Amino acid sequence: MPVSATNWADEVDGEDQPQTFTDANGITTIIEYRTNEDGKKVKVTRRTQKKLIHDVVNKAVAARKKWPKFGKEKGNRPGPDPATTNVGDNIKLKLSSTGDVVQDVDEKHEAMKAQLQNKKILCRICKGDHFTTKCPYKDSLGMEDAAAPAAAAEEAAPEEQQSGSKYIAPHMRAGAPAKGSDRDSMREKRDEQPTLRVTNLSEDVTEADVSELFKRFGHISRVFLARDRETNACKGFAFVSFTMREDAQRALEAIDGRGYDNLILRVEWARSSA
Amino acid sequence: MRPILLQGHERSLTQIKYNREGDLLFSVSKDHVVNAWFSHNGERLGTYEGHIGAVWTVDVNSSSTLLISGSADNTAKLWDVSNGKCLKSWEFNTAVRCVQFSEDDKLVLLVTEPRMGFPATLQIFNVENVSSEPVHNFNPEGPKITVAAWGALNRYIVAGRENGSVALIDPKTGECVSTNKVHELTLTDLQMSSDRTYFVTASKDKSAKILETESLEVLKTYTTDTPLNSAAIMPKHQEFVVVGGGQEAMDVTTTSSRQGKFECRFWHKILEEEVGRVRGHFGPINTIAIHPDGRSFASGGEDGYVRVHHFDDDFFTFKFQI
Repeated sequence: MPVSATNWADEVDGEDQPQTFTDANGITTIIEYRTNEDGKKVKVTRRTQKKLIHDVVNKAVAARKKWPKFGKEKGNRPGPDPATTNVGDNIKLKLSSTGDVVQDVDEKHEAMKAQLQNKKILCRICKGDHFTTKCPYKDSLGMEDAAAPAAAAEEAAPEEQQSGSKYIAPHMRAGAPAKGSDRDSMREKRDEQPTLRVTNLSEDVTEADVSELFKRFGHISRVFLARDRETNACKGFAFVSFTMREDAQRALEAIDGRGYDNLILRVEWARSSA
Repeated sequence: MRPILLQGHERSLTQIKYNREGDLLFSVSKDHVVNAWFSHNGERLGTYEGHIGAVWTVDVNSSSTLLISGSADNTAKLWDVSNGKCLKSWEFNTAVRCVQFSEDDKLVLLVTEPRMGFPATLQIFNVENVSSEPVHNFNPEGPKITVAAWGALNRYIVAGRENGSVALIDPKTGECVSTNKVHELTLTDLQMSSDRTYFVTASKDKSAKILETESLEVLKTYTTDTPLNSAAIMPKHQEFVVVGGGQEAMDVTTTSSRQGKFECRFWHKILEEEVGRVRGHFGPINTIAIHPDGRSFASGGEDGYVRVHHFDDDFFTFKFQI
């Protein structure tokens, strides 16, 4: 039997090879497959259109274009280097004579405010002038309310168990831990820990980057990076919980005001959500 | 329009300048780096290495052969634009805040700041026969000079001071010929029109003004709601003035800072009305420069980015409706 040059195990499993094709309009499409940091396969499609622009310039300008690069650019090829030069998002410069130049980004915000102005906000727990979820007495008064129906349910449950008719879920059985106690201790533990809030992060920062940056100050118990739900890009801030408060303090002093990926980071103690 | 982002600096930008034809853009920053870029596509030509302190100011001569930069390391350096070589380094007692080539490229004016007992100086060097000694070395009295520029035909030097006043100084004698207090707070920028008969000033008192050079008379005033760090006059196509600034809002954490809300504002020069804004910077705008052909402009910010914008066609057809 002839020895085949390629081992069957090495062949790519079903997915296509990277393709490049050009259609009639001159648009080149390049399709590549990559694995991103979460281990997921990502299909990257790039469509480029090359246009040759002829520009008539001054002789001196043309001569300058031919200069070899120097300093930090020494030895680099002609053409912009993506490390230093990028094209940003499209911005419309709307010129208007009327003077209403200020863009209404806060439209949604204003609409929300207008809506709320009419209604009175009442907290269900303490009847204060705030939303229920933002109630400062959530833990104490809130639990009482939750405990009452839970107790009623528990009373019903043991009776049923004795009669042995229906299945009772573990958390509703007699002898199950009181609702919220375990969660409380876990939550409490997390809240007790010294947590820093880092803001002004750039969009492509990851949890790994943030923990890399902060782990030299001490042991980190968790990193939470706020991500946009749809695009998964970083929303610009993160929370870092250290084990030791002194580590967090040193990290705060060192990183606050430091540049990272062209943005100046700000670090503060995180305000707990009470 | 799609701005081109130039990421050559790690700290805030202090000044950007186009050369006379506009094909090169020079940017300097607090991170000791002087960068040269091709303005049409943002490609970096090179860097001029040698400063060991924040570089405050830069200027290029009209043939784009010499570049001068002034820095907080108490030196001003003269560079060969084409290859990055430092041709001359002048040492001073204090930091150099402002440099400018004269219109005929023969002289360079230089302002150093007063510090630790050393008084402020206004020095003029000859760059044709580059020597270590200045042609003139004046100690101007009065409040600190923050910005300075040559007037038409080198007849005067216009200087803006920390107290908001503008002064005309005779370059031969160093005496202050006339003064006019036009702003309430320090002047942050002073840029000449193309023929140097009038200039625009930007100030931390949230306004920019146009003054005539010879008389220092205020011709126009543009009042905004944010302290201004820079102002520039559009040389062609539209009678606009572009101003920019911004106060660092310390507790901007959620939406605004990510969206880049610091803006370059466009004002109609004659009618003193705001006509448009361009947002995008993540920090206050420190410096604005307009391409000599009026088809593009660039802004440098506290965030370390330089954004080069090439105007769309509808920019040139805009007519202000009264």
